[in-house]
Amino acid sequence: MRSRDFDPGGGGAAPWVFVSPLIAFALIFFVVPLGFSVYLSFTRWNPLGTPSWVGLKQFEYLLTRDDAFWRSVGNTFVFAFGFVALGVPLSLGLAFVFSRSRGKAVWRSIYYLPQLTNIVAIAYLWQFVLDDRYGIINRALGLTGLRGPDWLTDPVMAMVSVVLVMIWYDAGKNMLVFSAALEAVDSEIYDAATLDGAGAWRTLRSVTLPMIRPAFIFVTITSFITGMGFFALILAMTGGGPRGATEVTALYTYTMAFEDLRMGRASAGALILFVIIGVLSLLQFRALRERERRT
Amino acid sequence: MTTVDDVTHPARTGPATRVAAPRPRWRRHAGSVVKYAVLALGAALMILPFADMFVGALRGPADVYANPPRYLPSDPQWGVYARVFRELPMTTWFANSVIVTCIITACQVATSTMAGYALAKYRFAGASPLFRLVVGAQMFPFFLFIIPIFFILRFAPLMGGNDIAGQGGAGLLGTYAALCLPFVVTWYGVFLMRQFFLGIPDDLLEAARLDGASEYRIFRSIMLPLVKPAIATLTLFSFVYHWNEFIWTMTVTRAAPDLQTLPVGIYLLSGAFQTLDQKSLQQAALAVSILPVIVVFLMLQRLFVASNFASGVK
Repeated sequence: MRSRDFDPGGGGAAPWVFVSPLIAFALIFFVVPLGFSVYLSFTRWNPLGTPSWVGLKQFEYLLTRDDAFWRSVGNTFVFAFGFVALGVPLSLGLAFVFSRSRGKAVWRSIYYLPQLTNIVAIAYLWQFVLDDRYGIINRALGLTGLRGPDWLTDPVMAMVSVVLVMIWYDAGKNMLVFSAALEAVDSEIYDAATLDGAGAWRTLRSVTLPMIRPAFIFVTITSFITGMGFFALILAMTGGGPRGATEVTALYTYTMAFEDLRMGRASAGALILFVIIGVLSLLQFRALRERERRT
Repeated sequence: MTTVDDVTHPARTGPATRVAAPRPRWRRHAGSVVKYAVLALGAALMILPFADMFVGALRGPADVYANPPRYLPSDPQWGVYARVFRELPMTTWFANSVIVTCIITACQVATSTMAGYALAKYRFAGASPLFRLVVGAQMFPFFLFIIPIFFILRFAPLMGGNDIAGQGGAGLLGTYAALCLPFVVTWYGVFLMRQFFLGIPDDLLEAARLDGASEYRIFRSIMLPLVKPAIATLTLFSFVYHWNEFIWTMTVTRAAPDLQTLPVGIYLLSGAFQTLDQKSLQQAALAVSILPVIVVFLMLQRLFVASNFASGVK
């Protein structure tokens, strides 16, 4: 798009009027907050007083002395990578069966149900299902004589549980993205592959997967970004517990801000997380694109 | 299902099938059974927590205090749905959810159609930088904005008892504005509407201009009706998202119970649901918080074609 090119056909001030809410919003709720956030990260501020400039001290504290921060970064990675590594292939697999099934409207509605549900309800619904003693899963296991795991009170299982619930929450949406991509592949390509004697496995590897690679990159990277920054589910489901085992960085900085009232340090933590997400997304994007060029 | 379909679709067949010839009927049959078995199993898992909630809501004290506690309610307590409205501030939460969701959705549709139209149909100096902003801003995660926006609203000059420097009062915190303002524009919505307006031929615009229609008239009377399907899609997405929005609303209404929405109210009251027979009350409240979205979704579902999902992919 050429930026210095005025439409000779007219318009005049009209386009500016149309975008004026967008510009006002971008200033007040995007540019200013970002700048304010960066400023705050160089200060110490309990909102009852005024911010005092401390330079890079907050970053230094978080990166070199705060074990809880590093633990939260580790938890964030486990959560995000677990979500992507298990969730994306699962959605792709579901898309394969969904896109060649009948009764799509019904399947779609069912698989999309979690996406329509507020995150508090999702957290509590699963708390009920996973309850150590009264939950339906451990009751069912109990009937067979097995003792079910402590889904939400054991530190390792709690992380497993929140990852599984996150996958459950997002599977339907990603399934629909993948199935849209699968349906967009021209059936003549499949016919050609068949004529050339390509078997099913070969067709999958050399035709289908390359054709849906843009969707694959899109889903992988958006899922990764979502997983790295998502904390509403964990807040409502485990509150970051037991003993910090599911405390991800976004939740850690949120609690730091609104419970400990350390606005400066929390802003610094949020910026560090943002930079980590940005760098890793870029690396992923490069890697996935690279493989595309080679195939 | 045609034979060609069966042969060419790879997901059905295992790695062992390398021949292009049609498979025997029993194998095709088996593939079909596996396909629907997988879909049904997944669907059962999707529904399980919801079913668990509806069953749980109907349990009475006799069931939860039985030894061992009964899973299926012996005497379904349908009155629990009246109780949630009697014993919890459900009416306030519900009204707030409706008010906030409707305001935000209306604002988002208005700002997205206007901005999307300008970015698609006018060549003006702002078009290119603004479009780049709209695409780029989507990359910024929401957690980055919680702290700064909270204080921008808190220190809004001349609002809520504040002086010109933003000191002295509570600012916009504790008002509906605090819940709605940070969401009146959606980058995704602007992007979506721009893509739809791009698909509308310029000739229409030129013809209307030759007829002497003003730019605003053209937008309102000619362009808007043409993008109704996109408006419906955006309405649905906005409604679902903001009915369910939790973190922001909780942050600004923690101290303002009159402004809490359904998810926030239920979350902040969770301490009150500790005893076993109050759990059914909580489950009923959750059911009430979920149902309106499902109703809206089922009403608008035909608009909700899979292609909408693909728009962000390319």
